[in-house]
Amino acid sequence: MTGPSVGGRRRIAIDPITRLEGHGKIDIFLDDAGDVERACLQIPELRGFEVFSIGRPAEEMPQITSRICGVCPTAHHMAATKALDDLYKTEPTPTARKIRELVYNAFMMEDHALHVYILGGPDFIVGPDAPKEMRNVVGVIQKVGLETGKRVIGMRKSLRELIAYFGGKVIHPVLGLPGGVSKGLALEDLPRFQQLAKDAVEFGEFTLGVFRDIVLKNESYVDMIRSEDYTHKTYYMGMVDDRNRVNFYDGQLRVVRPDGQEYATFHPRQYAEFIAERVEPWSYVKFCYLKSLGWHGFDNPKSGIYSVAPLARLNASEGFTTPRAQRAYEEFFQVLGGKPVHHTLANHWARVIELLHAAERIHELVNDPQLTGTDIRNIPQRTPSVGIAAVEAPRGTLFHHFETDERGLIRKANLIVATQNNSARISMSVEKAAKGLIRKGQVTDGLLNRIEMAFRAYDPCFGCATHSLPGHLPLSVTIYNSHREFIRRLQQD
Amino acid sequence: MMSRRTLILGLGNDILTDDAVGLRIASELSGDPMIRQAGAEVLCSTEMGLALLDLIDGQDELFILDSIQTTEAAPGFIHILHGGELAKLPGVSPHFLGIGEMLALGRELHLHLPEKVTIYAIEVADPFTVGNCLSPVLEARLPSLVNEIRGHILASVGRKRPSQELPSGCEAGVKHSGASTASDTQPETLFRAEA
Repeated sequence: MTGPSVGGRRRIAIDPITRLEGHGKIDIFLDDAGDVERACLQIPELRGFEVFSIGRPAEEMPQITSRICGVCPTAHHMAATKALDDLYKTEPTPTARKIRELVYNAFMMEDHALHVYILGGPDFIVGPDAPKEMRNVVGVIQKVGLETGKRVIGMRKSLRELIAYFGGKVIHPVLGLPGGVSKGLALEDLPRFQQLAKDAVEFGEFTLGVFRDIVLKNESYVDMIRSEDYTHKTYYMGMVDDRNRVNFYDGQLRVVRPDGQEYATFHPRQYAEFIAERVEPWSYVKFCYLKSLGWHGFDNPKSGIYSVAPLARLNASEGFTTPRAQRAYEEFFQVLGGKPVHHTLANHWARVIELLHAAERIHELVNDPQLTGTDIRNIPQRTPSVGIAAVEAPRGTLFHHFETDERGLIRKANLIVATQNNSARISMSVEKAAKGLIRKGQVTDGLLNRIEMAFRAYDPCFGCATHSLPGHLPLSVTIYNSHREFIRRLQQD
Repeated sequence: MMSRRTLILGLGNDILTDDAVGLRIASELSGDPMIRQAGAEVLCSTEMGLALLDLIDGQDELFILDSIQTTEAAPGFIHILHGGELAKLPGVSPHFLGIGEMLALGRELHLHLPEKVTIYAIEVADPFTVGNCLSPVLEARLPSLVNEIRGHILASVGRKRPSQELPSGCEAGVKHSGASTASDTQPETLFRAEA
């Protein structure tokens, strides 16, 4: 598992993890005593997005931004579409809004299912103590059974068919237009989506059952969720409706303090008043924090470090609009000791609850008579200038900000993606795991596994390419001494 | 008896500079008469992981064209990997499902997956900058990349032919099809040389 120690002064430049998608590169910096001074998950920065965008018609942004990220194409498409609504000060028609919400919840459910069963599965479904050769997708299928494996793949396929029905393509959807959508739902197609919705709710309940049986009935799992090793007391941010209930598609951003009290609720347009970015010399990651609280370092509770993603959404809200998810929400906080929950690994459970909510919301929407309306677009009439919007991507809040000239050509484009919102807390989690396992330059076995578990719970997105070489993705940890010189790399087989 | 199905699959992101190289090569191969004659289907996908399973299911032989950045080779170097090298499943991936995991998952689910997988991973210079042209070094290398890979594929499927001069240039690159009727079983197909 661990590679040989490599001496010398060469600052490592080789990154063996080549696909942007899974750029799992961790840097650990030691102090003079050989203990961990700082550790960080490196996330490559996308270059040239604004330059590429400038001069293009704003209407192209939902397509361009969805092409940038192969993990969250629908989230980018929807955030950009909503930013166009704001740019032209045009609200979508009620039918268009519901179609967008339907597509968005289908995307959320599909993405969450992938993480619950496949990506995060090795940590919980198979278990952290399972033999190494089982802690992978094959181990997950063997644990849940072949029929369940096929059910997961089939559910995901049906959800993608729904997205493709409206958007044409999952990864490059062409659904959103300022003030509406490009395609409505034909009445004759409704029954198959109603059947899909019914299946989706059953799948959501089934998944919650799987989680209860495998995780919650296992005391050692629950102890691990609650353990101090995976706990950080930070602020939390998530999108809520006018009654502070979780909403993935639209609403205000609500931020709660580490004690659970509301810190702020703001419109996405105000994001720059509330969020600032910090650059550290040892990382190319920008760390987001709450502007008014300032940055006082990672370990200082006065810092305005906040978290996004499923756990944050549950903490920042006061519940769900749908009954099954609401019951699961209440159980979540009851079992984990009340709000807010600060345990990073609880993200897995929160994700399952959100999956169920997305399914219930799909069910509500396909049974809403307005969904099959034919009035699917309000034509923009206003001169564009600034458009800002946000959605909750599966892995957290996503902001899009465009400015144009009077013809609607882009003059400025800015994105804050979910993993960027989460970057400070993810680094805190990585650092905590590293500090527990590296003492006086000695690395304890299991470092990679512990670090992986610490950041995988957030479901981070490492970049914006879309594919997958070299196949298996080894996690790479690079350790530097107090002079920032390379001393060792640990890498999975 | 059904004929053997061969898929040449270009992967990448067409607006991340060199990340598009696999798509560009596949685009060139899709118009190649020898490739057609060999009965190989050519597809491009900008998707990843599990989504690719739908494309690969039912194939007998698979060639993947993709970018890679090891910095241990010059841009344009072709790393050739074989499916067996990706099949091992030791630990886990931090975020995504790689091709090795995808193949393992598909087999676990009893899907019909290619028994032979060859991956051409092109060393790239810049896969991080948003842009729809390759870097100059890779653009210059593109015709020879196409020829080398074309020859290798044809040799592998047993119908090797002399190489042809192929055009290059970013304007000749992969074009997105805009609105399409692509469904989950045919995701993100930018072109299809042979059904």
